[in-house]
Amino acid sequence: MGDESGWSEEIQNIVDRFQSCFDTMERYELLFEYANMHPSVLSMEEWDDENMVHGCQSRAHVECLLDGDGGFIAKGGADAQIVQGLMAITAIAVNGLPPEEVACHDPSYVEEMGLSQILTPSRANGFMNMVKKVKDEASSLM
Amino acid sequence: MALDVESIRSQFPILQRTLPNGKRLVYFDNAATSQKPLVVIDAMSDFYKNYHANAHRANHTLADESTAALESARDRISKFFGTSENQMIYTGSATEAMNLVAYGWARYNLSEGDVVVTTEMEHHANIVPWQELSKERGIELRYVPVDTEKFTLDYDAMEIAIEGASLVCVGHVSNVLGVRNDIERVIQMARSQGARIAIDSAQGAPHEKIKFDDLGADFLSVAAHKMAGPTGIGCLLVSEEALSEMGPFLTGGSIVKRVSLEDTLFHEGYAMFETGTPRMAEAIGWRVAVDWLEENVDFEEAHKHVQGIASWMASRMREIPGITVFGYPEREEAIGVVSFLHDTIQAQDLGYLLDAGGFAVRTGHHCAQPLMEAMGVGSTNRASVWIYNTMEEAEAFVSHLESIVSRFS
Repeated sequence: MGDESGWSEEIQNIVDRFQSCFDTMERYELLFEYANMHPSVLSMEEWDDENMVHGCQSRAHVECLLDGDGGFIAKGGADAQIVQGLMAITAIAVNGLPPEEVACHDPSYVEEMGLSQILTPSRANGFMNMVKKVKDEASSLM
Repeated sequence: MALDVESIRSQFPILQRTLPNGKRLVYFDNAATSQKPLVVIDAMSDFYKNYHANAHRANHTLADESTAALESARDRISKFFGTSENQMIYTGSATEAMNLVAYGWARYNLSEGDVVVTTEMEHHANIVPWQELSKERGIELRYVPVDTEKFTLDYDAMEIAIEGASLVCVGHVSNVLGVRNDIERVIQMARSQGARIAIDSAQGAPHEKIKFDDLGADFLSVAAHKMAGPTGIGCLLVSEEALSEMGPFLTGGSIVKRVSLEDTLFHEGYAMFETGTPRMAEAIGWRVAVDWLEENVDFEEAHKHVQGIASWMASRMREIPGITVFGYPEREEAIGVVSFLHDTIQAQDLGYLLDAGGFAVRTGHHCAQPLMEAMGVGSTNRASVWIYNTMEEAEAFVSHLESIVSRFS
């Protein structure tokens, strides 16, 4: 863990990078970058009705599992790179944690990243639905 | 009368808005819904503040004022569309108006084996009701294909499809391509087969002065909110003959003369179709919107203005690497819609990135999935222009799009 925020050092670095962006377009560029760095991509072939995240403006799918050590893995896929970038950051935040911790995951780092201008009410709702799905799946994997 | 765009813009408060990221709003989502001039907003507010009461129901002063306003709005709006108040049925939307054709006319007049013709180019509002009725009644549904090279309806195929048809339902203007269909020709074709003809003018009426009685159609649907009026109201214009063949669709209060436990006697004419509390504030707002259009907008000048901007945008956008523009907004009769995609930037992403520059466009299948399928795409980005847009906005849009493509592709 990093400082008192409770975020990992990796997430704190991401927050710092977003905070140093000049404008919304730069933040979008960073999200595109993270979309390409998603640590656990759910390929399109794996997308189905069951792993679909409802309430997203674009298509988004999440599937969660435990690795051999009992660590949580959130696989995610979206047709929009911006959504995929948000999923990637969420995966970076939760992957490897015990499911008990993921079940009470607080995604407030997104706010700190200055994404409030990007996350209009319906987009924020889609993002929160995605986080809720991750947390629900974590609860069921406990 | 030349179009005074500056004066028009000054009457739409929302066009002065700045977005949370500090960018000035450039509104290019007019095919989804237009913005409203202050007079419309004020008229609706005035109704709620000063004479709101349920129309057609009571004899107190407010109810009387409200009823008079609702009915004088019908008179004014119907005249604006070139017909009389007896031929106009208020609906909740253009979609509801097309459903009224299906369930208020076709369900009473068509049966197994009868043919309804629609097209691949339609909004779902002019496809789904026919599919549902087809399942219920065994009606044969025929689709006229789109010529995806010319981006027009295939009129030769239409000639064949219309043979023996009882009803032909065609969109006036495509909400995806901005193509203005040759509805006069389609009406003639339908008439030659003795078929009734319904025009979905949700996208046509904001761009062209409708003269319903002269047009020769039996039904024509309109949405107020796409032409400076409020949301939640539209209408179906109906020829006298077709109206006499219609039966109730949504039932309940207001539309009845007498109800007993055994049966119901319905009103005649438009009164048979407006059940429930009327859309009073919306009708009042719409009436003011048509007054405002009449005072401020010459439709021929408006068309030149809108088509000129869209045509310029389309031709410039075609020069941006990776951008495909669908259809031909450059055509003289095209109506201000530019649908496009980039070959590597996904449509939703492009929508977000345009929004970051302050540009509001629509992204998605535009409730026209059969057309999307014919075009071989799942969705498009769509910039749609109306009377208050300017060439400066178009230039800024193209410049922002160029910048997105160079940064994100």
